[in-house]
Amino acid sequence: MGAGGGSLPRPSRSAHPTAPPAHPTTRRLPAGGRIDRSQPLRFTFNGRSMSGFVGDTLASALLANGVDTVAQSFKHGRRRGIVGSGTEEPNAIVDLGDGAHRIPNQRATQVELHAGLVATSGARRRLKRFAGAFAGVMPAGFYYKFFMGPPWLWRRWEALLRRAAGLGAVPTGADPDTYDKLNHHCDVLVVGGGPAGIAAALAAARVDARVALVDEQNEFGGSLLGAPQAIGDAPATQWVDAAIAELSACPNAVLLPRATAFGYYDHNFVTVLERRTDHLGATSPCAPRQRLHRIRAKQVALATGAVERPATFANNDLPGVMLASAVAAYLNRYAVAAGTRLLLFTGNDNAYRTALDWRRAGRCVVAVADTRASPAGALVAQAEAAGIEIHKAHAVIEAIGRKRVAGALIAPLSEDGQRLAAKPRRLDCDLIACSDGWSPAIHLSSQAGARPRWNEEGMMFLPGAPRQPTVCAGAVNGAMSLAACLADGAAAGARAAHAAGFGDARPRFAAPPVEEAEEDAARPLFIAPHVQPSSRAPKQFVDFQLDVTAADIELAAREGYRSVEHAKRYTALGFGTDQGKLGNVNGVAILARALGQGIAETGVTVFRPAYTPVTFGAIAGRDAGELFDAERHTPMHAWHMARGAAWENVGRWKRPWHYPQADETMHEAVVRECRSARQDIAMLDASTLGKIDVQGADAATFLDRIYAGSFQRLGVGRCRYGLMLREDGTIFDDGVAARLADTRFLLHTTTGNAEAVLAWLELWRQTEWPDLDVYFTSVTDHWATAALAGPKARDVLRRVCDDIDLSREAFPFMSVRSGHVAGRPARVFRISFSGELCFEVNVAAHDGMDVWNALMAAGEPFGITPYGTETMHVLRAEKGFIIVGQDTDGSMTPDDMGLGWAVRHGKPFGFIGDRSLALADHRRADRLHFVGLATTDAAAVLPEGAQIVAASTRRAAKPTTPRAMQGHVTSSYFSPTLGRSIALAMLTRGRERLGETICCPLADGREVSAQVVRPIFFDAEGRRTHA
Amino acid sequence: MPDATTLRGPRRQACLSLRAKPNPSLPAAVATALGVELPTTPCTHHRAGERGLYWLGPDEWLATAPAGAEDALQAALRSALTGHFAVTDVSGAWRSFNLAGPRAIEVLRKSSPCDFHPRAFAPGRCVQTVFAKATALIAGNADGDFDVITRTSYADYLRRWLEVAALEHPASP
Amino acid sequence: MLEIHCPYCGEPRSEEEFSYAGEAHIRRPQDPAKLDDRAWGDYLHFRSNPRGAHRELWFHAAGCRRYLNVLRDTASYHISQTHRVGESPEDV
Repeated sequence: MGAGGGSLPRPSRSAHPTAPPAHPTTRRLPAGGRIDRSQPLRFTFNGRSMSGFVGDTLASALLANGVDTVAQSFKHGRRRGIVGSGTEEPNAIVDLGDGAHRIPNQRATQVELHAGLVATSGARRRLKRFAGAFAGVMPAGFYYKFFMGPPWLWRRWEALLRRAAGLGAVPTGADPDTYDKLNHHCDVLVVGGGPAGIAAALAAARVDARVALVDEQNEFGGSLLGAPQAIGDAPATQWVDAAIAELSACPNAVLLPRATAFGYYDHNFVTVLERRTDHLGATSPCAPRQRLHRIRAKQVALATGAVERPATFANNDLPGVMLASAVAAYLNRYAVAAGTRLLLFTGNDNAYRTALDWRRAGRCVVAVADTRASPAGALVAQAEAAGIEIHKAHAVIEAIGRKRVAGALIAPLSEDGQRLAAKPRRLDCDLIACSDGWSPAIHLSSQAGARPRWNEEGMMFLPGAPRQPTVCAGAVNGAMSLAACLADGAAAGARAAHAAGFGDARPRFAAPPVEEAEEDAARPLFIAPHVQPSSRAPKQFVDFQLDVTAADIELAAREGYRSVEHAKRYTALGFGTDQGKLGNVNGVAILARALGQGIAETGVTVFRPAYTPVTFGAIAGRDAGELFDAERHTPMHAWHMARGAAWENVGRWKRPWHYPQADETMHEAVVRECRSARQDIAMLDASTLGKIDVQGADAATFLDRIYAGSFQRLGVGRCRYGLMLREDGTIFDDGVAARLADTRFLLHTTTGNAEAVLAWLELWRQTEWPDLDVYFTSVTDHWATAALAGPKARDVLRRVCDDIDLSREAFPFMSVRSGHVAGRPARVFRISFSGELCFEVNVAAHDGMDVWNALMAAGEPFGITPYGTETMHVLRAEKGFIIVGQDTDGSMTPDDMGLGWAVRHGKPFGFIGDRSLALADHRRADRLHFVGLATTDAAAVLPEGAQIVAASTRRAAKPTTPRAMQGHVTSSYFSPTLGRSIALAMLTRGRERLGETICCPLADGREVSAQVVRPIFFDAEGRRTHA
Repeated sequence: MPDATTLRGPRRQACLSLRAKPNPSLPAAVATALGVELPTTPCTHHRAGERGLYWLGPDEWLATAPAGAEDALQAALRSALTGHFAVTDVSGAWRSFNLAGPRAIEVLRKSSPCDFHPRAFAPGRCVQTVFAKATALIAGNADGDFDVITRTSYADYLRRWLEVAALEHPASP
Repeated sequence: MLEIHCPYCGEPRSEEEFSYAGEAHIRRPQDPAKLDDRAWGDYLHFRSNPRGAHRELWFHAAGCRRYLNVLRDTASYHISQTHRVGESPEDV
């Protein structure tokens, strides 16, 4: 079992005096742990088949299989092994799966083992060659310094670096998994399911608050899962089981294991990534692989625990150097001994538990190097009683070994701990467990806006004063003993519940008795001195993932990077996917020392979301594929689909763009549709136009203030084109408004602006003119609209409408009538965006399909053709009708567009935008004017957006550049009706330049010349419209 | 599946938009015309048989009834109301889905940031809110089921969204 | 992600339902024609930009479609008050 080959621990070179005579050499212990030995699993790591058990993480299984090297380092290409046992792991970053299923950047310490798991360590094959060339000469700021130089050189480097950079490989196909999101509201959200978090959740749930408890591990218990501690008379895990059972039975408690709170945003909004099927290793089409929980909590209790701080010494990145807590966790939780001969390096009592556990497992403890001169805690006494050799006031200053730890240099420390008091000596060992103290996991608290504060007594950064309704509990608060965590958690939970309106802030929770060892004061070193200065000693790593050394930080300080944020960016300290969970505090301490100041004044960098990496899939959720956006469909959508329409997205609407027949090209289809409209009859689905029903005694008064034109005297049954301006005088929207009754109007808006216009009307009514009696109701979705356009429109409509007099006299252009079309109640507008005789038939959405079919049938003898938005654009451009947002860009006034006729100055109140039209800038003579362009070559269609310059007067060999821009093309088409290219444009002083030839230089170097003409190409007198 | 979520719709109803300044005679006039009591508490709705009346804003309500009743109800409202009001037939503008089953709340929570916990969303409540990438009016009914009332143009999208969201019923939250 | 108490709906709602509508309490001049270009320009373009309490107008776009006044701290994002249009915040 267990060891599946590879580099098994080598036999020790010399027998240690305190070593038991014979010790086991397999990594997997014969008994114990929270693994299920009846369920063995096979998995693959870097192509090698290995075995493990249900309950293993990938990391524990790799250790059990004797894998020492899990990655090659990012910058220097050094061997790296597993350091931690949880979210802090910087080295064991793997890609899972392959092909489209590949997921990069997963921490092996958090990957639950499952049958058939395929893992590849990301950084393996990368920088080796590149780093080889520069080994040892990549100091802090290497990239900034080295790549100063001619730009052409950088391009070559960039190609090389891009190949080498990054930690994982990109999946090769679209992600086949599904993801989703779930919103929560709760009174108390507890982040962290260790002893403090469980106690907090219990305290809050017992007073009936709505509680959510999230934890990133597969089971609740946190540190208790890896420590053989007792609560009451039973193992701590029994207490955990009972507590979780109680919470599960609470109808108002939500338990989320395998869920990482990765972002803490404003107003107590916390995002949590839940891994739902990753541990099963299978893709299920129903169950989402991951779920993003969006939790809004009245109170947040952070019980995020603490991360052990590694020791900084020479070659401390050698495989076999691990956190003391990780060594204990692998031993106790996974029954894996990460080596055989343990050397413990610590400055605190807590880590002695690792040595004691190791000895209890029947393994050899070579020695303890304790930075303190006379540690006196209970655990130290236990270790001494057990015969473990303790080197007091000593430090490990260098790890020795090639592929993994084979020994260590230890040396006595000077009184201040900054120098060595004597020469080092060597101890043989294959595992160095180190602990320089603990760093509370203040990341979420920091994200929530609390500035971390340095606690000199505990030598750690603690959460600062909360800026949101947050309480902190347990180790994140600096409470390091189990009893303190339970009490702190219960108090915090009760306090949070009370603040959310539940209970009286006194926990209904009797803290169970806990066995406690009295601990002596700790003495962190942050960096162990060496016989050489940092710049000359073997590398002393601070940030393993990004290969930042103590020497790099000292160099940054020497080069003037005094702010911790600047030093971070210069050295890349804490920039990795692990966000410097291990190295940040050591880095800050080293920087502080180099700057000759305290840690408190140096401060720590700001932590930002995400706490651990989040897949894009989870961020997208269900908003992918067919549900990528909320598509809006008209009532005739199915008909367009069946007719094979090509689609244009207009806002969120799907609109038929054109209807190609057989193998027609788009151009051919548009030519056919245009001809049909100009010669016979064609029909457009115009349902997407915004429609607003306006009612009230002051409706006309209100519209007079909102539109630039006048609506007071518009007759009932008549329509008028209106321009809405912003207060700065620029065109906001346009459309036809119809007076349905004395106190009732119907407004048309552009398709994309319907909601904005309604919000605009409400803004003025609600905030400025609440005294006006007028109400607005959106009826966009209520009406289905078919625009019948063409000389035969009247003939077609007459066949399905017998209660409206359609004659020219009775139903003139710009009017509206009510009646029935195809037997359905209908409102018919005689308005036209095509320049043809046109009736826009409006019926309720549910009648739309039937009426559309009836109109198609009625039009059949006349050759009716459905037309799409492209033909609509061509027809309106021939007439010079503007499209707001295409021909205007938010800086155009009515005069610029030649629409001064639609503005009525001198109305009693004026109108929105009126005063601005008088501003000097809006009256400049050299403003852009809306004009038409007729290209010299009738076949040359200008690209929309083409810039306009003056035509070259001389036939010079090469036109001079730059030439002043004089405007740009806003719309451009080939007009089938005219058999030539037409364009609309904004041109400086355009209206004064009719007949002039201008020039459009194109991106491909060609120049297209065109004549400036009036922006109307067809039926300038409007005979057809009024027919 | 015993805890499967049942999705019905989209269904068409008679829908009238009612806007009126609240005044002492308004509730009685509306109740007479529609046969449903006017909800004046924000974010609530009243039902009477197949008719419903939903609070949308301090001077805005949505009245629903079986399809076909729109003209008669509009006429009744217009003759009953006095002062400044607006009544608009919006029967074509709204479509209604119904979600039932013990996990229906979860389908709503996947779609909207509102709080649908029974403590916050008792039967008789209704909210207009963001729903997936569209918007909707969500109403809790006496039988514990929910109506999701949405703009007609979004009905195809939301039907697909709701089908997908209702597919999965995890054993725990 | 802010949570904004809508004074019309009478309950807190998520920021997703709202859109920002600029600084609150900007009065449109009674008679714009009487203002010179500079004074009109001030009304059009100039807004306060305090670090701290800021009076804002928001629109409950996906909810009750009412405009509301919000007193928000631009540094902490804390919202101390919301109230209906036409009502005034207590003095800050």
